[in-house]
Amino acid sequence: MNVKIEGRLTFPGGTHPPQSKDLTRKSRIVVAAAGKQVSVMLSQHIGAACGPVVAKGDVVEAGQKVGDSDAYVCSPVHSPVNGKVKSIELSPHAVMGRSTAVIIETDAENNPVRQPCHERFGADFSAEAYSGEQICDAIRESGLVGMGGAGFPTRVKVEPNAKMPKETMIINGCECEPYITCDYRIMLEWTNQIIAGVKLAKKASGCSQAFIAIEDNKPRAIEIMREALGVRGESEGIRVVVVKTKYPQGGERQLIRSVLETHVPTGGIPPMIGVLVLNVATCAAIAEAVVLGGALTHRVVTVTGEGVGNCGNYYAPIGTAVGDLIELCGGLTSRAAKVILGGPMMGIAIGDLSTPTTKTTGAITVLTKEQIGRAKFAGRQTPCIRCGRCIEVCPERLNATKIAHAVKYGLLDVAQDYYMSACIECGCCSYVCPANIELTGHIKTGKILVARQKKRMPE
Amino acid sequence: MLDNVTVSHSPHISKPLSTRAVMIDVVIGLAPAMVMAVVLFRLRALILIPTCVIASAATEWVCNVIRKRVNPAESLGDFSAVVTGIILALSLPPALPVWAAVIGSCFAIAIGKMVFGGLGANIFNPAMAGRTFLTASFGMLMTTWMVPATVDSGMPEVAVSQAGDETIDERTQATPLAWSKQAIKGEREAGVANRQFLATLVGATGGCLGETSAIALLLGGIYLLIKRTISVHIPLAVLVSAFVFGAISYFINSDAYISPFVHLTGGGMLFCAFFIATDPVTAPLTTKGMWIFGIGVGGLTMLIRIVGEYPEGIMYAILLMNAVTPLIDRFCKLVPAGGKPNG
Repeated sequence: MNVKIEGRLTFPGGTHPPQSKDLTRKSRIVVAAAGKQVSVMLSQHIGAACGPVVAKGDVVEAGQKVGDSDAYVCSPVHSPVNGKVKSIELSPHAVMGRSTAVIIETDAENNPVRQPCHERFGADFSAEAYSGEQICDAIRESGLVGMGGAGFPTRVKVEPNAKMPKETMIINGCECEPYITCDYRIMLEWTNQIIAGVKLAKKASGCSQAFIAIEDNKPRAIEIMREALGVRGESEGIRVVVVKTKYPQGGERQLIRSVLETHVPTGGIPPMIGVLVLNVATCAAIAEAVVLGGALTHRVVTVTGEGVGNCGNYYAPIGTAVGDLIELCGGLTSRAAKVILGGPMMGIAIGDLSTPTTKTTGAITVLTKEQIGRAKFAGRQTPCIRCGRCIEVCPERLNATKIAHAVKYGLLDVAQDYYMSACIECGCCSYVCPANIELTGHIKTGKILVARQKKRMPE
Repeated sequence: MLDNVTVSHSPHISKPLSTRAVMIDVVIGLAPAMVMAVVLFRLRALILIPTCVIASAATEWVCNVIRKRVNPAESLGDFSAVVTGIILALSLPPALPVWAAVIGSCFAIAIGKMVFGGLGANIFNPAMAGRTFLTASFGMLMTTWMVPATVDSGMPEVAVSQAGDETIDERTQATPLAWSKQAIKGEREAGVANRQFLATLVGATGGCLGETSAIALLLGGIYLLIKRTISVHIPLAVLVSAFVFGAISYFINSDAYISPFVHLTGGGMLFCAFFIATDPVTAPLTTKGMWIFGIGVGGLTMLIRIVGEYPEGIMYAILLMNAVTPLIDRFCKLVPAGGKPNG
């Protein structure tokens, strides 16, 4: 495959929202203790939901599996704490409204706070001692999913597939979404652990080369990564590449376009062109899972935004209520008006602070009343003047205005004809639209309506 | 649950950009042409531009009242009526009576825009629709060209019509394109128009209010390009295709056909290329479509100028291409970045 390395790599389209990363860029990762209870969602990934393997009243230990399934595209879930299963019930979910979760009451006396394990990894880590099968099994058992946001079970991604052999691995350290800094902090603080994970994933997947892609607004991360890899990295086929700071650079398809100058086919997946993309946090988790056998029960979450008292990066139990994490940061300010799981471009606004975090929750962003007011969606939408800005910024080169208006007027067949399903919902079109039209919102609605038509989704 | 928390689709932040800002940018882009109109045609510009703007805005308001809008003045806030008014005024002959300008503005907004459903829904550029209506209704008034105030009215190219009592009634001057037409018919040599090239840069020729000064139009056009209010495709396609067409005719017979440079700077070519053909509502959405649209406008204009009966044809060229814009859009469907999906 033809790879261009020098200079700042990029893709056509995209936009430049204000980064707002200074709020937490310098905040070291702080370990957060578990709250009184945690809610472990049974479905935190793409694919079949888990069934509970514990019952109400059971005593569970930290790291014990509480949900699993026999399906191939699935990932088990584990308890982050020592405690007792209070109930298995519906819990608020950012996307689905409600979803089943295992609610665990933490044992207040016997609960050592889990510490990050990056100190256990040195620069001389070698993946030689582990077989590919061993690595894949450890990944599956620890419940690893893509931690960048999509939540696809990592085992399915990494495992070699005879039909679609993988040759290139891209480690996604772009973090293009405004406000979020969890991946940046991990790259600075857990450098060796990430590299260990890259080596393990590279071995398990059979890839011959690996690129760690970092946006050029994180020079420190680029420097530290390059230093840690040293000369040895080159000989092991791992290189750091600098990509241009542009949203959505961290989108899987966009990153592949930037680094390898090829496109993943529309409707296709990266392995079709022999590529595997893993997020840096996922790599760090792979190292932990394979070497130390720990389950994925904790992750780094950036709690940020002008609407919280003290912003920061927290190593928190997965399943902690959003409200608990916000309390940890001094609570919502009086101006807070919108709580978002994720960043402001793709994140999902929630109305219930008891919503638990999941494996894919990298950030909680709280925006203020003024910011919401400034966002033009607060105002009335005006007619589309066909200025074409949405098309100009679309990283997937779609006719956003055509699709959105087709959905608006109930013409789902027209929307599909204009490749609605290829939309990655990055939000660039809504972000630039001078007429205040929530193009992304319409397109998302259209996708749900089509799924319902095809009976893939309940009414 | 929290009372004071809002939920909505992502994204939750947006670029500070509105339709009004886009329209105001166009007004700023038109400013050099307006200034030159005032310099060249003095009082006529000062009367016609405000007349058209006010008449356009008033018509939109009345239409909104008829459409039973809750707030009839709301749509005026997007400034699109102002832009239509200015563009129409700048495309009118300076000597046009005020009542005719008012009729043109009313037609432009009411029939050109509002009957289709207002901003964004119209098929034809409203200002061009208004101007076509005036041309069809008052042909004589629309082809009478006043001498710019900066031109020595004693020069031979200026025709003087006199009233019965020997006082000068009106001074008129043929436009470079009128000479071009006469040259094609063999009544004059093309050199008369070619010698006017420098005058067309400044604007010291006969012509519509805002179209004569090439430099002012280029300045405004470049502003819009820098602000990325318009993309370069349509103006470039119009100008290049017109230039190629003009150059071919010039090399075939330079006595009968004027220089391609005068084709670009004379008449409404630059004005239309930068400010009218780029009207996003009535132009194609995709880059490929923009090229086709621009080449169509440039080619049709030159066809009318060189082969047709009228000296100037860009107005008709734009309206014709407006009419096929939906077809162009359908023809130039975007292919996603990852190619067409299989099956």
